Amino acid sequence: MNLVLRRLIPEYGMFLVLLLLCAFFSFVTYSEQSSTGEAGADQVASEIARQAKPADNVLIVTRRQTDDIRFADKLQRNLASREMQVAGVVQGEPQDARVAMERLLQENQKIDFVACSQASADWRVFANIPVDFPNFGNPRVVQPYVYYWPNFLKFDNLLNISNQISVIAVVAIGMTMVIVSGGIDLSVGSLIALSAVLSARIIRDFAGATDATTTGMTLACIIAILCCGAIGAFSACMITYFGIPPFIVTLAMMLVGSGFAYMLSEGQSIAAMPDTFVWLGRDASLFGLPNAVVLMVALYALAHLVMSRMTLGRYLYAVGGNREAARLSGVPVERVIVFAYVVCGLLAGLGGVVLASQLKSGSATYGNMYELYVIAAVVVGGTSLSGGEGKMPGTLIGAFTIAVIQNGMNLTNVESYTQKVVLGFVILGAVLLDQIRGRRYSA
Amino acid sequence: MTIPIRILTVTLCSLAVSVGCQSRDNLGGNRTKTATGKKEVIGVSLLTLDNPFFKIIGDNITASAAQHGYETNVVSADKDVAKQGNQVKDFIVKGVSAIVLSPCDPKAIVPIIQEANAAGIPVFTVDIPCDQPGVKIVTQIATDNYGGGREAGNAMVEVLGASGGEIAVLHFKQAQSCLLRVRGFREVIDAHNQSGKPKLEVVTELESGGAKDVGYKATEDALQAHPNIRGIFAINDPSALGAVAAVEKANKSGQITIIGFDGMPEGKQAIKEGTIYADPIQFPDKMGIQIVDAILRHSRGESLPPELLIPTKLYRRTDALNDPDLK
Repeated sequence: MNLVLRRLIPEYGMFLVLLLLCAFFSFVTYSEQSSTGEAGADQVASEIARQAKPADNVLIVTRRQTDDIRFADKLQRNLASREMQVAGVVQGEPQDARVAMERLLQENQKIDFVACSQASADWRVFANIPVDFPNFGNPRVVQPYVYYWPNFLKFDNLLNISNQISVIAVVAIGMTMVIVSGGIDLSVGSLIALSAVLSARIIRDFAGATDATTTGMTLACIIAILCCGAIGAFSACMITYFGIPPFIVTLAMMLVGSGFAYMLSEGQSIAAMPDTFVWLGRDASLFGLPNAVVLMVALYALAHLVMSRMTLGRYLYAVGGNREAARLSGVPVERVIVFAYVVCGLLAGLGGVVLASQLKSGSATYGNMYELYVIAAVVVGGTSLSGGEGKMPGTLIGAFTIAVIQNGMNLTNVESYTQKVVLGFVILGAVLLDQIRGRRYSA
Repeated sequence: MTIPIRILTVTLCSLAVSVGCQSRDNLGGNRTKTATGKKEVIGVSLLTLDNPFFKIIGDNITASAAQHGYETNVVSADKDVAKQGNQVKDFIVKGVSAIVLSPCDPKAIVPIIQEANAAGIPVFTVDIPCDQPGVKIVTQIATDNYGGGREAGNAMVEVLGASGGEIAVLHFKQAQSCLLRVRGFREVIDAHNQSGKPKLEVVTELESGGAKDVGYKATEDALQAHPNIRGIFAINDPSALGAVAAVEKANKSGQITIIGFDGMPEGKQAIKEGTIYADPIQFPDKMGIQIVDAILRHSRGESLPPELLIPTKLYRRTDALNDPDLK
């Protein structure tokens, strides 16, 4: 048992931290929920049936929204099968409810029950019916049962987290390779912006703007991604063949990339693109999983294979661990480094395309500070900034740790200033914890 | 210290809720809003909270919402539209009753507002409108920037109308609000010129970035190119303060009338000292209160205008001398 723990903890220490964070936020966001859709409708129908006298009138009020529409349809059918009278169905805004109730009053109709989904039950148009609609009697507002479940653990929220982190996680793959090889790339944030602007601009100017075809859009995105790859290659050449430190080269490219993005976009956001462009960023084609998340998982699987099973991956570790030793052992050091930066550039470009797709526009303001979040994800994931050490799954866990903290704090109403402070300390604490545990158990 | 307390409070509250309200008695009858133990939440994502203007909007939304039994979640988007998108998605998951935005980018925010629309959550904007097609916004609350620009124009005419002279405008063309301000200003100046009195001529319109340092450089350049400038209209307080610094450096204090916009504390102080002549001031506190009022009226089923403009007021030295907030 002890032995198993000894092996597991240094390996998956960060995973434990992530699980703890999830447990914490689940606990903290444990709150009132209520059934939506058809289940909610059945609850409301049976509750009305329990309380109703013969010839009682029901008014159904919901929002115009997928779940609520299903709720209203099911409720109507259910009430009809119980032979109850539905005086009207309102689907829309509070104002529609008011209009409907005023009309019923004019027609001298009496209402005994207002059947609501959880959201419409909160509308203040119902807050004081006896006063606001004096001749209406005292109808009861019925809503679905309340149960308790953490907001954090809702399926929608978990998908939300994955979707939110997909851009940073994808870029972090390239960053892991660069950092493992002993370098750093500060230009990824700017490359994200550049790629978003470039793809949007090409679609607007050459692919027919809002009438662009799928081929046109794909080509535009590929060109944008390749441009970012080329910038990565340029940085790598500066680093390997001219011996300039990576920090300086990529800092310069960060400015260059951002400047180009502003020039190309003329400081505006470019939104002239067809609606289908959001496919990558917002649609969900495979088992209801968002495409961006599927892409992220696939890329991580591939990257993990490269890093752990292929010669190229081992070369990266060798170069990062000891460059001279690697060279003497016959590793093509320069080419390996160029590979890492090119992949990093390409993935930053891909991240930019995903972001542009999520926001259906390209703007030079995208990707601001992303390089720091990406580096944080990599480091939290257990990769050593001095190179030669680190794993792809670790980076994924690191990215999720950051996403979970951000999402959890948004869900618990933590103010944005405080969020930054907490995020900073959690990153520091997570790495510290990992260090201490790693030292104790591996020694 | 506030963080652990906050978390502790949230934890205790959720415990209290889960223990206290397990019964299902909130089903029938005219239950009061507090009976369920859960408050309706308003999600607010503002452009930034670095700027006191937005901070005041946020604080007033929170205070006013609390009076009406709402909870608020005010976050700063830090001018990053992707971040704002994530915040809005979190609001949707949380099932907030209303979303208030000052969009970081009126175009890129479109798909995000559409998501909130699809989830059936009413969206309101404050200060920065989103006038793109395809989004449903209940009402947009903003300063009457055009009217404010006219007030600035009138103030300029008041000082220089009798003598005439050259005027510079420090612009920030990316912002729709600033375009309106300058349009209002220019209309008053043009009307004055057509009335046959001594002419006021706008000789240059420079980009100020809405910031002190850029405004400073732009004013220096303007003074080099047009040494006879008698008046400067700056589209906000930081750029006006930049202009003040440049005018002081050129030893022209007192010879040039500077008019700003906003009424930020630093700007008001400058008005008190006489370095800025006057400001059409905005009322972020009123914006916050009006937003909550609009949310309430919407929830009561009342109809709302698509746009609610809050007029500015010209703030002069006499106002500054009587202002208890200025020391």
